[in-house]
Amino acid sequence: MNIFLRELRANLKSLIIWGVIVSLFVAVGFSKFTAYEGNPELLAILDEMPPAILSAFNFEAFNLTTISGFYGVMFSYFALILSVAAVMWGSDIITKEERDKTVEFSLTLPVRRGKVVTAKTLAAAVNCIGLLLITWGAVLVGTSYFESTNSDYYQFVALTMVALFLLQMIFLAIGVFLGCTLKHYKRATSVAVAILLGTFFLSIISGMNENLAFLQYLSPFKYFDPASLLHEATFDPVFLLLTAVIVIACVAGAHFTYARRDLYI
Amino acid sequence: MSIIEVTNLSKYYGKARGIEDVSFNVEEGEIFGFIGPNGAGKSTTIRLFLALIYPTSGQAKIFGKDCIEFGPEIRQQIGYLPSEVFYYDKMKVIDLLKYSASFYDRDCTQRMHELADYMELDVKRKINDLSYGNKKKVGIVQGLLHQPKLIVLDEPTSGLDPLMQQKFFSLIRDENERGATVFFSSHILDEVQRLCSRVAIIKDGGIITIEDIKTLQKDNYKKVNIVANGLDAAHFDVEGVTNLRRDDGAVQFFYKGDINVITRLISEHDIADLDIEDPTLEEIFIHYYQ
Repeated sequence: MNIFLRELRANLKSLIIWGVIVSLFVAVGFSKFTAYEGNPELLAILDEMPPAILSAFNFEAFNLTTISGFYGVMFSYFALILSVAAVMWGSDIITKEERDKTVEFSLTLPVRRGKVVTAKTLAAAVNCIGLLLITWGAVLVGTSYFESTNSDYYQFVALTMVALFLLQMIFLAIGVFLGCTLKHYKRATSVAVAILLGTFFLSIISGMNENLAFLQYLSPFKYFDPASLLHEATFDPVFLLLTAVIVIACVAGAHFTYARRDLYI
Repeated sequence: MSIIEVTNLSKYYGKARGIEDVSFNVEEGEIFGFIGPNGAGKSTTIRLFLALIYPTSGQAKIFGKDCIEFGPEIRQQIGYLPSEVFYYDKMKVIDLLKYSASFYDRDCTQRMHELADYMELDVKRKINDLSYGNKKKVGIVQGLLHQPKLIVLDEPTSGLDPLMQQKFFSLIRDENERGATVFFSSHILDEVQRLCSRVAIIKDGGIITIEDIKTLQKDNYKKVNIVANGLDAAHFDVEGVTNLRRDDGAVQFFYKGDINVITRLISEHDIADLDIEDPTLEEIFIHYYQ
């Protein structure tokens, strides 16, 4: 409990900074929607664009002139921002102890390494939830002025928040795993962010061509399709299972390797 | 009972040597010195005790229990002061000490304040704002606040001014009298000499010798310094004499053997002054490292 609380306190500033970033993004993003809302000319322009590009930006599945459609497109960017925060928190919360040489204090206390990893992972998860709630709040406040918001829209937003939460957990687990496993702690965060960006581009590529659709299994960003969340309001059980497998494997792997490796000071 | 038992302990960092086949015991209640130059493997040995790193082969036991398997349990009773202390910079000293105390299964509040007062530590300041020496004081308080049965010191005095060093040594002596065993690693021989009852000398990852500090000083060598006019250094070049030097009307050498032989030799001369003393550990040390 003491480790958990200390980490929460130590990460509060970072949470606030990310919260401000997300809120600004929401404000700027939805201010653009004022130009799109109920605008038939925009639809005409979009119709002329090549399908691959539309697909890449998720414009195909959504009607950008409705708030739900516009939000569906914004979802990809929320997913990216929240995942970056999660993966960085995950790797940093472990590796900072080696970077700042505080392992010589924190891990010479009478505590098991597994317990340290658990407490830190939970603290980072609470941070993720905090950022998610900030995002949710910012979206609700930022779109409350639009007339087309209705109960379907709010339900859609709530569902995407669940999707964002699952994405955060995947990338948090990957971050923790890399932080615990990589010997060169300096590389952990950059490797984590590289994996994240790589899978993000995979998700774009996999949507462009039918033959590349199998790539969606490699990209968590494809696990939660905002279009099907909007139209069918369901999650694909295969991807839910995949999410659980990734999270459990990463957290278990992190515990296993961290408990058995040398710490460098 | 042995507090620390090290058996054939080796540690390699990849191919680089940390320590090789190190064995020794530290008995309950002693102050055990562990001396050697930088890079000899002192910190490696200590980090193996604390399970920060894992042995390549061999075993270290503390309180009769394996350091890796029973790490957290053992560390309830270990106080560790590293050579350089690193703490969470943004915390206040008092918060850090309380945080540290929260890991031990006893109430450390009173002892914590006693130690902070004794070391003249201002607990309201932020770690970040502290000087190197003051951080070290935090380390001392943090390492001792749970009244450990084993105190592990890794070059503890760097950064402390002489007055604080004095206070620190007397604190360690008090803890020792209270029953704590002390493992004192250092390359500063003078402080080891002042504090320790037994020493192990480590070089290039291996133990060279383990001896009582008194044996090390007494049984081995005498340092002889003779001042006289027209003294011929060659006259003293007998068996057992080493490092013979002539230096402005004085002759200096180390002698090992029957002391009567050398006093007879000296008595043949009309001398102005004579010193026969135990060599400092430093001088013995240089001998081992030749």
